[in-house]
Amino acid sequence: MQAFLEIFDIYLLEAVINGILLGGVLALLALGLNLIFGVIDVTWICYAELVMIGMYGMYFLVSTYHVPYWAAAPLCILLVAGVGALLHLVVIQPLLSAPPINQLLATGGVLFFLQSLATVCFGIDFRNLGIQLPVLGVGEMNFSYARLLAFGAALVGISAVYVFMNRTYTGTAIRAIAQDRHIMPLMGVDARRIYIITSAIGGGLAGLASCLLVLQYDVHPFVGLSFGPITFLICVLGGLGNFFGGFVAAFVFAEIISLGGLFSDLEWGYVLAFGFFILMMFIRPGGLLARRS
Amino acid sequence: MMRGSVGRFLAIAFAVGAVLGLGLSAQAQTKKFKIGVIFDLTGPLAGGGSELQYLGVKIMNDYFIKQGPIEGYTIEAVYADAQSKPDVAINEAVRLMEQEKVDMIAGIYSSAQCVPIAARVEQMKKFMWMTTCVSTGVVENKHYKYVFRPQASGQQYGQTTTDMVAQIAKSHFGKEPKDMRVAIIHEDGAYGVDVGKGNVAGAKKAGMNIVLDEGYSATAPDLSALVTKLKRARPDVVFHTGYNPDISLILRQAREQGFKTGGIIGQGAGYGVYEKLAESLGGHAEYFFNTDPVSIWIANPKAIDPSLQPLIKMVGEEFDKLKPGQTIRSAHVGIGASNMYVFFTKVLPVAIKKYGGVDAEALRKAALDVDIPEGGTMLGFGVKFAPPESPIAGQNERSYPVVIQYIGDKPYVVWPKSLAQRDVVLPWPAGMTYSNK
Repeated sequence: MQAFLEIFDIYLLEAVINGILLGGVLALLALGLNLIFGVIDVTWICYAELVMIGMYGMYFLVSTYHVPYWAAAPLCILLVAGVGALLHLVVIQPLLSAPPINQLLATGGVLFFLQSLATVCFGIDFRNLGIQLPVLGVGEMNFSYARLLAFGAALVGISAVYVFMNRTYTGTAIRAIAQDRHIMPLMGVDARRIYIITSAIGGGLAGLASCLLVLQYDVHPFVGLSFGPITFLICVLGGLGNFFGGFVAAFVFAEIISLGGLFSDLEWGYVLAFGFFILMMFIRPGGLLARRS
Repeated sequence: MMRGSVGRFLAIAFAVGAVLGLGLSAQAQTKKFKIGVIFDLTGPLAGGGSELQYLGVKIMNDYFIKQGPIEGYTIEAVYADAQSKPDVAINEAVRLMEQEKVDMIAGIYSSAQCVPIAARVEQMKKFMWMTTCVSTGVVENKHYKYVFRPQASGQQYGQTTTDMVAQIAKSHFGKEPKDMRVAIIHEDGAYGVDVGKGNVAGAKKAGMNIVLDEGYSATAPDLSALVTKLKRARPDVVFHTGYNPDISLILRQAREQGFKTGGIIGQGAGYGVYEKLAESLGGHAEYFFNTDPVSIWIANPKAIDPSLQPLIKMVGEEFDKLKPGQTIRSAHVGIGASNMYVFFTKVLPVAIKKYGGVDAEALRKAALDVDIPEGGTMLGFGVKFAPPESPIAGQNERSYPVVIQYIGDKPYVVWPKSLAQRDVVLPWPAGMTYSNK
């Protein structure tokens, strides 16, 4: 009983809430990647590097050009949306009918290209925006506003994407293309335009994530390494292309990391999360929320 | 006809002989000693201190290249980027030895790279001079013949830090060491694990309570669970070993989660890069610590061989040219420069003059002959390498780190007491973000 009480203290609640907040960050990252895969059927392995570009954009706008954070954020979202559209036009479009492995390798190449380009252009220094947001204190627990913001943005982001996809003409066209990319052009849908719009939205979501992550992490050319693999795993766990599945998977993953790290060594939290992923690939290879056939 | 063929043969033989002779003569005149230097110039470790160490080594290499040949040997340095990846580091080391035909491998920031490279260098019977990496595991029980490290070892880092806290426990915390609660957190690579081992050994020796001992991945995107555990453990002092940006992340999350303690004592790597540490803390790293060999610019000049002062000045001036506007000249630069200086002045000339060349055997014998007393290097410590039969063969037995505290944007040696420039500020005063007062 004593051991039980020792475990279930206020710190457990703090770890649970921190897990939820981390889930918000991961869900936000997974959202754009899922959108792109769901529609274009191409996995942007370099997605986290778009986030890195956005973080650099925020850093330079705010620290070097002294643009207020609130004004820099939309500029940055537009910048990364543009990069997303450009990525589609230059790299993805020529490979749309190529085997999936070629597409994967091409975006993998873009990953290394962007990392190296950032190293050449910005150097290897870790850069910090220097903004320290206040902390929300509840009893002995404290929570970061930066994380609360990311969590809120994830909720708003998924709601906005849902509304856009279900209530707008373009959203309907995107869903239609996602269902059958060969038939819809025969019915008058401009597939090329839809792909570019989708890539721009996916990039914009990466831009939104970068605006929030720059408040929590230092910017450096390899910052994507901390998020890229985990974001990809979450998308697969939720079912590639399934927004809601990715959202749920992000929170499941984050809670395993947080609680696993609390009850055992921190490294075990990640081991358990990846172990859970492997197990689920056997049990539900289509993703957590995939319908059983 | 026959006579013509013989004539042609003799002419060709003469020409070939002349060319070979000229070649050999030219070779004899321009004997070369080629150094392969490996550091992380890109990737996460570059900004965490590796680039600064590289600058220190390069400044010293360039100085000796400019000075002209050493005992008839021209110095040439080839630099390789390990990209913060052990596999790349090993490949680069092999490339330098096999294709560039270097006589020696030097540098190396990450202990995770040092361990496999040392094994490979030994296997290939080349000479290795580790200026930077600290993991004891690189040399412990390996009995390498050709691997030498003038640098202090990781476990020394850990034990120096715990020794300081144990010695000041009563005077500063008002507690006996046995009542002190200490937490040990470290990145989970060879470097962090080794320093952590030193912390554990030192804390146990002093009878302190280890309330948390945990490693984490330096690339983990979230360390909030570790901060929650620190909050629950309520340590008087935290011993932390990390690179960057993990240091930045954990300090940020600790602030956001309201973690309070008596002091966080950093041990090398990211804590030695003051600019970045201060930036991540909002401008100043007031009262933070770093355990490392002493910065050559703050070491007591009276305790160091006076002939080294012009070199210390030269390294500083060169560094300022390369990195203008730094608040504090990083100790990393001095470590790289000093350790290379020892090689150029105490190993290489002896190998050539006394042991007849620059092959691994001659360099090894010369390295084992090195006997520099305390105060004989820019870093203050002496140099005497453990012999091959020692469990730490190749490790400098006279090296030691010191504990530095940053006060008013300046570094001060606060431990060991014999070298201290001022009293240690512990526990942290009230008003500091992390202070539990």
